[in-house]
Amino acid sequence: MLNDLRRFSTSAFPEELRQSAWTEVLEKVLMGNGTPGHASPPLDGHVSSCSSALDSVFIKLSSSPQVLVPHASNAHRYGHAVLVLTLLSGSGLVIEGDETVAISSGDIIVLEPTRPWRIELNTDFRAVVVKLESASFVLRLVRTSKQNLNKISARTGVGAVCLNLIQSIADELDHLGRHELPPIEATLTELLVACLSHMDEDSAEDSTSVQLGHLRRVCRSMEARLGDPDLVIDDIGRLEGLSTRYIQKLFKVGSTTFSEYLKARRLERCRLDLANPALAHFTIAELCFRWGFNDAANFSRAFTARFKLSPKAYRAEPPKNLDAQQVLQRGRPTLGSVPPAGAREHARLTTQAKDHREESGDTRRYQFENLLSDHARYALALALTPKRAAPAAAPVTPTEPLPNHYYIPASDKTVHWGYFSRTLKPAISVKSGDILTIETLTQHASDDRERMIDGDPGAESVFHWTADRKGVDRRGAGPMDASIFGRGAGEGFGVHICTGPVYVQGAEPGDVLEIRILDILPRPSCSPKHHGKLFGSNAATWWGFQYKDLLTEPKEREVVTVYEIHDTAAQPHAKAVYNYRWTPQTDPFGVRHDTIDYPGVPVDEASIDKQYGVLSKAIVPIRPHFGVLAVAPKELGLVDSIPPGYFGGNLDNWRAGKGSKVYLPVSVDGALFSVGDPHASQGDSELCGTAIECSLTGVFQLVLHKKAQMAGTFLADLNYPFLETDDEWVLQGLSFPNHLAELGPNAQTQVYQKSSLEAAMRDAFRKARHYLMTAHQLTEDEAISLISVAVDFGITQVVDGNLGIHAVIRKAIFPDHDLAL
Amino acid sequence: MLKHICSPTCTHGVSPEDEKDVKEGFKVARRSFLRDAMVASGTAVSASALSVSMAPSAFAASAKPGSGMTSHYYIPASANTVLWGYFSKSAKPVVTVESGDFVTIETLTHHANDDAERMVKGDAGAESVFHWDSQKKGVNRRGAGPMDAKVGAGGGQGVHICTGPVHIKGAEPGDILEVRIIDVTPRPSANPLYKGRAFGSNAAANWGFHYGDTLTEPKKREVVTIYEVDATGERNWARAVYNYKWTPQTDPFGVVHPTIDYPGVPVNHSTITKNDKILQNIRIPVRPHFGTMGVAPAEADMVTSIPPNYTGGNIDNWRIGKGATVYYPVAVTGAMFSVGDPHASQGDSELCGTAIECSLTGTFQLILHKKASLPGTPLAELNYPLLETQDDWVLHGFSYANYLAELGPDAQNAIYSKSSVDLALRDAYHKMRHFLMTTQRLGEDEAISLMSIAVDFGITQVVDGNWGVHAVVKKSIFPARGV
Repeated sequence: MLNDLRRFSTSAFPEELRQSAWTEVLEKVLMGNGTPGHASPPLDGHVSSCSSALDSVFIKLSSSPQVLVPHASNAHRYGHAVLVLTLLSGSGLVIEGDETVAISSGDIIVLEPTRPWRIELNTDFRAVVVKLESASFVLRLVRTSKQNLNKISARTGVGAVCLNLIQSIADELDHLGRHELPPIEATLTELLVACLSHMDEDSAEDSTSVQLGHLRRVCRSMEARLGDPDLVIDDIGRLEGLSTRYIQKLFKVGSTTFSEYLKARRLERCRLDLANPALAHFTIAELCFRWGFNDAANFSRAFTARFKLSPKAYRAEPPKNLDAQQVLQRGRPTLGSVPPAGAREHARLTTQAKDHREESGDTRRYQFENLLSDHARYALALALTPKRAAPAAAPVTPTEPLPNHYYIPASDKTVHWGYFSRTLKPAISVKSGDILTIETLTQHASDDRERMIDGDPGAESVFHWTADRKGVDRRGAGPMDASIFGRGAGEGFGVHICTGPVYVQGAEPGDVLEIRILDILPRPSCSPKHHGKLFGSNAATWWGFQYKDLLTEPKEREVVTVYEIHDTAAQPHAKAVYNYRWTPQTDPFGVRHDTIDYPGVPVDEASIDKQYGVLSKAIVPIRPHFGVLAVAPKELGLVDSIPPGYFGGNLDNWRAGKGSKVYLPVSVDGALFSVGDPHASQGDSELCGTAIECSLTGVFQLVLHKKAQMAGTFLADLNYPFLETDDEWVLQGLSFPNHLAELGPNAQTQVYQKSSLEAAMRDAFRKARHYLMTAHQLTEDEAISLISVAVDFGITQVVDGNLGIHAVIRKAIFPDHDLAL
Repeated sequence: MLKHICSPTCTHGVSPEDEKDVKEGFKVARRSFLRDAMVASGTAVSASALSVSMAPSAFAASAKPGSGMTSHYYIPASANTVLWGYFSKSAKPVVTVESGDFVTIETLTHHANDDAERMVKGDAGAESVFHWDSQKKGVNRRGAGPMDAKVGAGGGQGVHICTGPVHIKGAEPGDILEVRIIDVTPRPSANPLYKGRAFGSNAAANWGFHYGDTLTEPKKREVVTIYEVDATGERNWARAVYNYKWTPQTDPFGVVHPTIDYPGVPVNHSTITKNDKILQNIRIPVRPHFGTMGVAPAEADMVTSIPPNYTGGNIDNWRIGKGATVYYPVAVTGAMFSVGDPHASQGDSELCGTAIECSLTGTFQLILHKKASLPGTPLAELNYPLLETQDDWVLHGFSYANYLAELGPDAQNAIYSKSSVDLALRDAYHKMRHFLMTTQRLGEDEAISLMSIAVDFGITQVVDGNWGVHAVVKKSIFPARGV
């Protein structure tokens, strides 16, 4: 594994070299890039590859749109191989001669390398391409049929098994050795044979995934028009270009009807509004009109029938668990009895042979029902996203060219807890060059409520949690109904309290946002007993590197150490006050937290045993910084705040302190900058899971670099976070430079399982090389020698899922370094 | 045994003026010694003439006993005073010293033949070591491998030229050897053309982390970059002179080396293309240090010098420079200390396989701590090399803390395919926890919290087989305690 080069991202290469590196990988599977019919965005992709002992090659691609064609010369040399392309996401066309076949997510297409086909992938896509050697039998089948018959529908039956296999291969690709692949290869070959020989049975029936796509569009369109009382199915049909009958059919497969679904969605939105204290001044009639009901009595009846409470009663006393699973399930369209996943698989396999049709109907219905309920949950999550108001700001004259100075306090209205999202409403909108003072809160303040929350109105509003209400309900990117682990809304899939986002006017994808950290100020305790003092918490947690590797009993314990920060001019330092072992804590909603599995759970003083006098002689120099500095990722939906990525995020590098500058590539309009996870001090590696987590206030200047102005500079090419301090440039290597794109839909789960320091080291090396070659115009050989003799690699963190290794380049190496950027 | 305990500013009983005298004395000693040697055997320096076995008193004995109790020895680098590519508990010591004695040791880089003009020519010591004609090699065995290996005697299984071993009187397994690095100076080029300058070589080699992961063609190339260092020590940065791609080299015995597979192969400069004007206007701050330093392991008679281990060896941490102190667990009688692999500068990770490999001379004080004196002291349980610098303590985690013991008889080969950064971090964590719990008497929970907030973990190297991650903790965190 010394030189495991099976994985790379194009972002590690200077732009002009990307295509050749990419081509080299495609050649392994006898493919090349064709010229696209229309202008396409610059190549941006990730690839993993793996060769078997029998010379078959498996590659996993996630990339921007492109055209794939057979590699002419190689294809003839290896004419006995067969290519299998499986599209995991995205869509496109396969063209051969006058035949054109549409492919979409979940389709498998078998190709002969010597034929002149062309695959046009028009969207961002993820795909697995396999070059199967010694697959002569498959090849014969391919040759005897028309191109469109070589598309295997993976909806049901053996095709679905085949897809599952390919997906698991893709998931494990980085961990499969040369000698482990041959049996997998053999299985795959046999499955393909089975699929292709079934071809004749399969008709030209519409692809399920296309229909699901249509249904998704219909739902989205409806959600946006719930408030229109005259909305009818024909309107949606017109808007989406689908026939009324077809839409009816889509809902029917999902065991519901258009109007039933519409009503369910409207009632759900009304229910949320009724429970929202901020809307208390509206009458019930006003609220139901907002959501498209035009008759209050009618609404009242429907509501009562659905929620077993009249709107009035509901408003007076909403059920305690507003978002508990049971309520949410009611919000979903009624589902037929859905067998558990395992049983479905089993049924699929056993009945496939004798009753193909019927089985396929069941699966389809399940898929459609699922989509409807998922969509409802997603809409609900959006509705519950805290609404933001622009905070009090210094008087602003819009025409004033001087930078404005804004102040964003931390409160339940200005923070998002545990996730990033392009859909968040900005807390404020600023111009490039403006200065912002932003308060940030540590999510660990509740470890010692008295010292870090009490008396502090901002912190109190965020951490507020009583039996009937949480100040900030969603904590993490998980489901609001906590249907996975039951920890709480958002499931703690992401833990950091982030203040923002800040909309930067004129920022567009392709630009770079420079964040200058002008100053970092402490946030003193407001509690009368500790007034003016500064505190932070360090938790040795279950996600720490030490957790399963402890010497003393009890093994697998979590320990919280509370530190006081002495901000003396001469030697600012931290000293431990006391520590305690985490004991199971029951939150105000009644959920028990045996471990630190959900952020902001209030710790009951009576349940813990405080040990004073710990680390009594240790004086820890402080390094105040922000663990999280992010712009919104381009991906849809909510993104867990824990793994850092190309958008910055939880870098946890203590060098991001006062005087440093962080450059982040903008992915969405307005950039949507957020900051959080303040730390008083951290060591390289953040070994036990956290730093001294301590609320801080930062003064930032946001400077926008437009793409057009950066042409020819290092920043023009920047698609990863870049950090500059007074004396150093820091390149942040990550185990997955872009885990969201590379790992696909399960990225936010898999990134925790698949990271390694080797991969992070590889990425740090490539980024350092990229930086030296582009910003300083070194040749590759110069860059490599310089890296070995003068660049220091350190371990940033081993606890954030996507492990980090940074490369530190001293500016003193370049006496005339001002030219660097 | 020396009573005084060093502080960072300690002069070891020598006043600054005296120290200057001492250094001057050594320079004279070395020069006159070399001159004598030259006279003795004409232009061709015989290897035996350069041997320290002539007894220290012949040229440097007891130059200036600082406390009146210690001696100061001088060990020049020559064919008879070096082991090339291996540690050995049974090698004949070049000198035997008492605990507390000072030793000035010349070390040579094994990459000097990358540019013999600049780094070997005219330097009697280097010439004796690198001597290689069709008949004879100055040092035949290079590495711990078989003498009849295809690439050359010793198989290049271990590459570093290590000066020594030094036998410490009374040292036994279980004791601790403390090595203080009093001074480190570059070895000036002996070629009059390059007077006042010193040179080093950086090879982006086949064992580098980058190898095969390059952007430009040819993908699998090795590139040697020659750097210049100021030999007077006035300028604290190095600059690149030129680079070249390695071409297949035929050694004087007729063996072709298509890659850098054997140390000390003379590079025929007519076969290479030099590119100058490289790394222009770039100043590399120097960090002179010894990549390989340690005591002999007990597990095998001959152990390759490449993977670092519990006895030290090729740790490749640039912090092992002037002012630093390293504590080693003694594994064999006499400790058998040796030092080599001198570097003018290196970055954490030593990514391309080598540093600026540049011959240096170091002055060391060797202090033995007997096992019986250890209980109750912070050194009591030390079974790994511990580095103390002016401001920090540094612990070295390896993928395998003792790879010779862990990987069995085939360890010296197996280690190259088994390393990972993750494992090395695990070991660094264990060692730092052990250090904090024993020397600072912290509880485990205290140690772990401190490690997360105040200990920096860095990548030492990913090119020496047994990969390294170091943990750095500031001494100032514990104002009231010391090791």
